[in-house]
Amino acid sequence: MTSKSQDVNVLFEKWILDADTKMAINDLFVNVKSYLESTHPEICGKCVPCRDGVVKLESLFELYINGTATLKTLKEIERLVLNLRASRCSVGLDIGKNMEVVLENNYNILYNPVKKY
Amino acid sequence: MAKITINGELVKVKNGTTILNAAKGIGIDIPTLCFIKEINEIGFCRICVVEVEGEQDLISSCNTEVANGMVIYTDSDKVIESRTATLQLLASKHRFDCWRCPKDGMCEFYDLLKIYDVVFEEFGPGIGRNKETIIGTGISQDQSKCVLCKRCVAVCQNVITANVLKFRDDDGMNPIVSPTPGLSFDESGCIFCGQCVKTCPTGTLFETDHTKEVKELLKNKEKFTVAQVSKEAISALAEEFGYDLGTDINETFGKTMQALKLLGFDEVSSLDFGVDLHNFETGKELVKRIEEGNTLPIFTSTCPSFTRYLELYKPQLLENLSTVKTPHIIQGMMYKHNLLHHNHKNIAVVTIDGCTAKKYEVTREELKTNDAKDVDAVLTVRELAKMLKVKGINYRSLENIEFTNEITGTSPSVKSGSIVSTLNVVSELLDNKPIENIEFKVTRGKENIETVGQIREASILIAGNKLNVAICTGGAAFAEMFEKLEKKKYHLVEFMTCPGGCLNGGGMPIAPIIPMHEVIQKRNKALCSINEDLPMSNPTHNEFVKSIYTEKITPNLHTNYSQKEFTKE
Repeated sequence: MTSKSQDVNVLFEKWILDADTKMAINDLFVNVKSYLESTHPEICGKCVPCRDGVVKLESLFELYINGTATLKTLKEIERLVLNLRASRCSVGLDIGKNMEVVLENNYNILYNPVKKY
Repeated sequence: MAKITINGELVKVKNGTTILNAAKGIGIDIPTLCFIKEINEIGFCRICVVEVEGEQDLISSCNTEVANGMVIYTDSDKVIESRTATLQLLASKHRFDCWRCPKDGMCEFYDLLKIYDVVFEEFGPGIGRNKETIIGTGISQDQSKCVLCKRCVAVCQNVITANVLKFRDDDGMNPIVSPTPGLSFDESGCIFCGQCVKTCPTGTLFETDHTKEVKELLKNKEKFTVAQVSKEAISALAEEFGYDLGTDINETFGKTMQALKLLGFDEVSSLDFGVDLHNFETGKELVKRIEEGNTLPIFTSTCPSFTRYLELYKPQLLENLSTVKTPHIIQGMMYKHNLLHHNHKNIAVVTIDGCTAKKYEVTREELKTNDAKDVDAVLTVRELAKMLKVKGINYRSLENIEFTNEITGTSPSVKSGSIVSTLNVVSELLDNKPIENIEFKVTRGKENIETVGQIREASILIAGNKLNVAICTGGAAFAEMFEKLEKKKYHLVEFMTCPGGCLNGGGMPIAPIIPMHEVIQKRNKALCSINEDLPMSNPTHNEFVKSIYTEKITPNLHTNYSQKEFTKE
């Protein structure tokens, strides 16, 4: 695990423990993507929601970073995050729970770039 | 007993039952992908997830036992959403060229996508997890279609005990299933039984294609093409065209032969002659070994997959292996060398059987006669069905013609079995009469399930010699049989790698999801071999074998099997 990813993990602990979950708009997408990337070494590769889901989530956040995300992107993110609840072990389940916190507390930020009106 | 509620229905089940089985008991089939009963209950694919009241997360039903008071939902929105998302994720890493896929309509993954009406929005169908295709002479693997269910790995490990395929998760984000990385199946010690091909839910593992070669042979007008089909394949072909498993071979025999003629083969025959000649020669070899006090027991060499198993993993037992070539190679050799009263030049022989190991076998140098292959190509039943469909041959509407020639014989139904046939030869040679009766006792695997295999044993008195014989089917039973050989004196042992024998071969049609022993039972019924009234196979009564057999051809019926090298991991 890189020092950068450790920082992201620390950040996550802060989010959850201190309920300090607000991030600057510009940082959110990049930080969440970095967090997801930081989980790679822990993923064992056995179950689908975690192994393939995390990579897909990253690509969806990449769309946010590029400014090409749409409402569908947000819906897919929601679906995949909820699907992490079907993971086989605590690695996937934890990623899922963390991501649920992100979604819950930053919905406005995520919704803003993709809303139509 | 545990009282649980499934979708609002109160059910009483035994403690220790899985949620999957409990639901099955009340008529609810929870979908699965990676699950194979007693072989692969690992919960990798997460398709079988269910919602349990009080649990935050979804639970895999295949490997979770019920607990008293559980309230389970198998079809809640959350469950269906999760299954759809999981399927979508798998599809994003799967190459879809379904119309060209060797699985040909039997893909379980495709069926699930269809049932759950999976659509692709943000990420569409994929181009494959890994582009590599691993080749082998008997089976090959297209990794772009792998869904990492690990079924093939479990079968290779627990059913066949070859341990060639492995789940490689050094990089958790990009795991692969493969034989030794960088090596072909041949180099990795694969025995080509093809059980992994049958268990693969997609078309990732497939029999190495010989249809192109056969098409070329059939197009070549200078070649006299011969199709030799095993009894199992003749009967099983009907399954590929919608006939029930277990349809009597007498209803389909003529249809299969007619279909092969229409496909363009100049001559069609069953493998009966080759089988009889093989058993005749094995019987002679056994008598010789008994008389000369040579290595016993003799292992029959009918199963090319087992022969390779010995060469790779038990070379110290190669002395026991009969040197007689396999039936289809013998018959091919007889055709090619004009020993069957033919006068054709430039003969090409194609074997059709439910076996993938024969594809490897025909490439073996030691089985060539005068530097030429005795059999040019081997088609599995599935490949043949595909060729017939391309040609537009409507199998169901074909007439069940009366079919006979010298090689095929008149009656398609005899109580067969290589051991019985060989013992009849021994009895005729030593005692001038066939054996009267033989009762086999099952000493391992009464239920005949894949992970156990089966061993049947019998003793018979022939001309004052008490012969102990055994039939061992399924790789899982090999280890016990080898142990038994050290403790008890046997004379003749037949080994078959596929659990249940050739009726469950790697190249046979993929049966619907029913237990293996039922498939075997039904296919046995189709071949009429469970009929006690049928005569026992006796090669010495085959007039054609008698008319052909001379000491001159004997050297061509034998070969030398030797230790083979492979790269151990």
